[in-house]
Amino acid sequence: MESKTPLSPHIQIYRWHISSLVSICHRITGIINIIVITLICLWASILLFGESNYETINSFLNSFMGKFFILGITWSFSFQALSEIRHLIMDFGYGFEIKTTKITGLIVIFGSLILTVVFYLIGKIFF
Amino acid sequence: MINATKKWIFLKISGATLVPLMLWFIINLINFYDQGFSDVVKFFTNSSSKFLFSMFVINAYFFSALSISEVFEDYIRNNKIKNVANKLLYASAVVIPLITIILITKL
Repeated sequence: MESKTPLSPHIQIYRWHISSLVSICHRITGIINIIVITLICLWASILLFGESNYETINSFLNSFMGKFFILGITWSFSFQALSEIRHLIMDFGYGFEIKTTKITGLIVIFGSLILTVVFYLIGKIFF
Repeated sequence: MINATKKWIFLKISGATLVPLMLWFIINLINFYDQGFSDVVKFFTNSSSKFLFSMFVINAYFFSALSISEVFEDYIRNNKIKNVANKLLYASAVVIPLITIILITKL
């Protein structure tokens, strides 16, 4: 049965703004994150089957692609965290002015890149 | 309180609690991802890590299930397909964290 509820307008209809970019990236990173968390659950479960089964994953994570993958998910998690904080601030009724939404959107985009580097350094050097 | 309001409140609470858990996990992941088998096992067998990781997985799946169901609401017109997609989503949000937590407690 077809629903009578209107669907979201197609993303190609509107001109792109920073807010729409952040919004669509929030959804994409959300889906990426849950796929990554599923892989991490699988990874944690494989540990139960012993060291020999772990070797393939370990060699992938130590390769260039593995490091790129870790950096990618660090960015994806950082973006999602910052974007979620932005949403929570908006839920309290702040930051709806067009100028503010542009500024907070830019903070999410560039902040996620900065956080990726910061988290990598914290995880590798200081933690 | 209508169901949509309850769903929104749960989404906001799980989103707020997920942020610190996500940051805790990513910093730890960067720290141990390229370590050997014993170091990774050491992380998952530590009782506080085990507890926080379990909370992280439960929260992440709960939050994702609620968020993705909103995406289904926005883009799927057919009610039958939408219901099946939602049921599969909610089932996986219960089964995957449950199996993972059971397996890591056996480590």
